[in-house]
Amino acid sequence: MLLFLQSLLNGILLGGIYAAYSAGFSLIFGVMGVINIFHGEMVMLGAFITYWIFTLFHVDPFLTIPFSIIALFVFGYLVQRFVINRVVEAPPMISYILTFGIHLIIAYTALWVWTADFRTVTTSYSGFNANVGGIIIPYARLATFGLALVVVAGLYVLLYKSEVGRAIQATAQDKEVARLMGVNIRRIYAITFGIGAAITGIAGSLISTYFIIFPQMGLPYTIIAFCVVVLGGMGYIPGALWGGLILGVVQSLTATYLNSGISGAFTFILLFVMLIVRPSGIVGKGIVE
Amino acid sequence: MKKIFLTCMVLGIALALTSGITSAQQKFRIGYAVPLTGTFGRDGSLVRDAYAYWAELVNSKGGIEVKGKKYPVELSFIDDKSIAAENAKLTEKLITDDKVDLILGGFGSDSVFAGSAVAEKYKYPMICGSASSNKLFERGFKYYFSTIGKATEEVRGCVEISQMLSPKPKTGVIIGSDILFTALAAEGYKKYAAQNGIEILHFELFPITLQDYNSMLLKVKQMNPDVLFVGSHLMVAMKTMKALKEIDFTPKMVTFSYGPTVPDFVKSLGKDAEYVVAASEWAPNLPYKDPLFGTARQFNDDYFKKYGRYPDYVEAASAAGAYAMQIAIEKLGITPPVKEADRVRLMEELYKQNLTTFYGVVKFGPDGANEAHPPVAVQIQNGKLRNVFPRDAAEATPWYPMKPWKER
Repeated sequence: MLLFLQSLLNGILLGGIYAAYSAGFSLIFGVMGVINIFHGEMVMLGAFITYWIFTLFHVDPFLTIPFSIIALFVFGYLVQRFVINRVVEAPPMISYILTFGIHLIIAYTALWVWTADFRTVTTSYSGFNANVGGIIIPYARLATFGLALVVVAGLYVLLYKSEVGRAIQATAQDKEVARLMGVNIRRIYAITFGIGAAITGIAGSLISTYFIIFPQMGLPYTIIAFCVVVLGGMGYIPGALWGGLILGVVQSLTATYLNSGISGAFTFILLFVMLIVRPSGIVGKGIVE
Repeated sequence: MKKIFLTCMVLGIALALTSGITSAQQKFRIGYAVPLTGTFGRDGSLVRDAYAYWAELVNSKGGIEVKGKKYPVELSFIDDKSIAAENAKLTEKLITDDKVDLILGGFGSDSVFAGSAVAEKYKYPMICGSASSNKLFERGFKYYFSTIGKATEEVRGCVEISQMLSPKPKTGVIIGSDILFTALAAEGYKKYAAQNGIEILHFELFPITLQDYNSMLLKVKQMNPDVLFVGSHLMVAMKTMKALKEIDFTPKMVTFSYGPTVPDFVKSLGKDAEYVVAASEWAPNLPYKDPLFGTARQFNDDYFKKYGRYPDYVEAASAAGAYAMQIAIEKLGITPPVKEADRVRLMEELYKQNLTTFYGVVKFGPDGANEAHPPVAVQIQNGKLRNVFPRDAAEATPWYPMKPWKER
């Protein structure tokens, strides 16, 4: 029983990690319809920002988060403003190719600059955990889970309670009407991408404390983010949390009770079944076109 | 006037081309395909550094000496991106397009498996110091050689060390990533655990792309084995240690087939790397030496001076492989450009070799594997790799059992 609860908890926390780095993917898809292939590279950039600030200046990884937010927001804003905006209204295939190209550019530039070394942020408290009735709770993962909740809640508030949020929503719902109402669509797109990149950067910062980071780590993160967002509902922000939790729990329980190889297969079986049976996501609020 | 000018120009070009060809014949052009990006990018870069170190040392003495004349070495390498098929393609390119004189092995069993098949086809001897899957030696190839032992044998020291420990470990769990080398290392653990009276409670191979190890290791924690044997590369080894700490699991001993001997392991994990045991094929305290590299200790120290880090055993084995090829060339009197008949003679000579190097004795068996190399086990003690097995060559006593995370 204890093993089951421990595995379940591990799955929930893993789900939190998945949700934390998938929320930005969902936001960007929801507003612009862009499936961002270089999403994983933004996780990598966030992780490397934390790694370098920690290594060079001995700043605690959690205190490096503001730097990741600012750097990734600026990066996301500029990439959207000057590159993706040029093709955002073209057929989706063009944006796939473009974002795939950017994925290669970032990954290989990072490889050139930082080499292929595997790195990790090891602090004096790395790997620390709480023992509650025999159940181990790793603090760093708990923090990431908490952060995933805050990010989803924050995005919800931003989208529904602020003027920028309403403009983003209006743009997502009908960009032509929004444009007629005076919304600067291209600016809204750039801000949205910036926000998506910033929250992904936060996840990257936290991940660097318990996962191994290296320049070419990005693609698996993009694939997981895609699965999470399909499970939760494309473009439906709280769906990232649902999708992350489902995926995390299923993977954890299968790895514990069956086999870790099967846990990977389950991910794609789930994705496959969901696309056929419920393409709008587990709570049915995703975009289906 | 125009005619004279044109004639001069043609003659000039012809002269330049001829001298170009002549000068190309004055050196050995040696190529290899190696992963510099992708999953094994870091590991592959070690092999590149080792060959570069050897070439620089040889060239500092004027080159490979054949019949009193010295021929410098020119290395060219191509990144196989950690993709086996790519390695085969690039090895073929080196041979057929670039027309290199000789080739060397890359990194990792999967890539080398593919690349060595191409080398065999074109009759290019390939010596490798970083691929040890048994399957590499079961193909009846004549041109593939390895300075390291077979994967299943490589982990022998990690299991046999149990005979030196008190209380002797009785149970173990074996996990390994599901690729050629690490899966075979896991098989090797199984074989030697049976021989050493260690009961294996669980055996599991997992995808190398697995992101989260916690859930898999939870199951292992529940079984509470004395030893956790891991078939690993660097990344797998690092992820395993991170996960063990996160789930607060400390078996009495953790061993890895590869990873902890790469300097990044200790550098990244710091104190969390303590107590880890790893398979190795070489240690700087071993009493070996040769005329090029000097003693094992000298190789270790000089390597540090060049790269700012100590060499991993794969680097020692790769450098020793290049050296074995050099000695065979010198003995046979082969000069560049190397013809097919020369390569056949070179292959035959390598089988006859019984060479003492700083890395140990290199003696290739009929299947190409180095027969003369005993497995070594090292342990991380106070941030340094200490040779702890075999007992007669050990420089330190193994630390056992592993101290629980909470007490460190």
